[in-house]
Amino acid sequence: MRLAVIALTTALMASQVHSEYLYGISGNMAGAGHTWGMNNIGPSNQRGMRINGVFYQYTPVKNTEDDMLVHVRNKRVGGGYIFSSTDDWSGLPGGIPITKGFTIDNLPIELWGDGSIDVEGNGLVTDANVVYSYKYNNDCLTPMSDPSCPGYMDAVLSMLGNAEVEAYDPMGDENISDVMDEKVDLEEESEEEEDKEILENILSSVDDSVLSANVLSQNLLMFALTNAVTMNTYYDKKLAGGTYKETVVLDGGNLPDNKKGARAGLAQQLLHTKMVSMQYDPKE
Amino acid sequence: MKKLLIVSLLLAPHIPAFAEETPISGLVQTRCLITTDTNGVFGNPLPSKLSTASADGGVVPIVRYDVTLADAYVAKVTTPTAFSSSPSLTDSVAWTGTTAVSKTSDAGMSGYEAAKVTYGYTTQFDLTIAGSTWFSSTATAVYGGTKSFPGGSYTAIVVAECIAK
Repeated sequence: MRLAVIALTTALMASQVHSEYLYGISGNMAGAGHTWGMNNIGPSNQRGMRINGVFYQYTPVKNTEDDMLVHVRNKRVGGGYIFSSTDDWSGLPGGIPITKGFTIDNLPIELWGDGSIDVEGNGLVTDANVVYSYKYNNDCLTPMSDPSCPGYMDAVLSMLGNAEVEAYDPMGDENISDVMDEKVDLEEESEEEEDKEILENILSSVDDSVLSANVLSQNLLMFALTNAVTMNTYYDKKLAGGTYKETVVLDGGNLPDNKKGARAGLAQQLLHTKMVSMQYDPKE
Repeated sequence: MKKLLIVSLLLAPHIPAFAEETPISGLVQTRCLITTDTNGVFGNPLPSKLSTASADGGVVPIVRYDVTLADAYVAKVTTPTAFSSSPSLTDSVAWTGTTAVSKTSDAGMSGYEAAKVTYGYTTQFDLTIAGSTWFSSTATAVYGGTKSFPGGSYTAIVVAECIAK
């Protein structure tokens, strides 16, 4: 289990690794003397530091007729020089500062030995200034930044310490088991009440359904009855022609009395009067 | 063979004559680059004097020549003889100026200073070595003997030229 935790930690941290180059310039390495070491260039614990430039400036002090060589150089670890520049001042006047810059092909700092300004011949060098430019990775600012950083495993083990690493079982946690038991009791009580409510809801739903069905059937029946009486046939009847004209014509303009009719009418009147008078006759 | 020759001669006058103009282009990169390294500032040590000397509270202007071709150019640096801008002046101004090599990128350039030629306010350097050379110029202006310069802003120009041999 301990190994598993370490492996998991390693994997998580490794997934966060990103490599990026940072650039910097050293201070004046020749400020305290004409020899210097290369250990104090840039931030400490930098993995993959590489030198990509050398810049120097100094003022020669000499007589014009004197021979003088000035060497600015760095030893190579393992022998020889990794950087060397020589200025020949022989027969030349001094007093004028010289400044030079060189581009270096990203040579690893591990190859760079001590640097120096060496004078060969008669003369002096004053106001010397030697500066290195460099680049480096920022992925080892702390040893745990990258599994490939020096001291990574030691840092991880130190962080974990000597404590026993035990797997956490949530089912064995008393607090969690108590909460789960309470939840079961509550669920049983609530289930009975829920059954009653469900049955009532079902029955009420059936009643509602029957009632709704009756109402619906009544409505359909009434609709069928009223639909049988078609009123349209009455609404659509029309009279032909629309007008009845006068057709009686009187000849001569004289309309004589109808004697027969008068006699018949009178006879009818007499009979009518007699019939009316009879109601006043005393009963026998 | 004869027939072939005759045919060729007959066809020759009928070949149309085409003309084509082909351009030639080229790019010449400068091999002498002049850059202002430091802008100068006048100090005012006396009411009647303006000077770029550091001892007078001024800043010496510095110009850099970058030459990539040895022994091909001459550097000419001319110190000012008048203000390019200033308050209205009613009296004459006496100018003095010098130019010197202030820094080099090669030991051999240290001989430039001894070999320089000065005429008037102009100093000429023979750029015999490829590399960078810094020239500094001092300029001093004295107004009307002992008159005070009117208050205001004063500007003067140092002219640096690179002339092919």
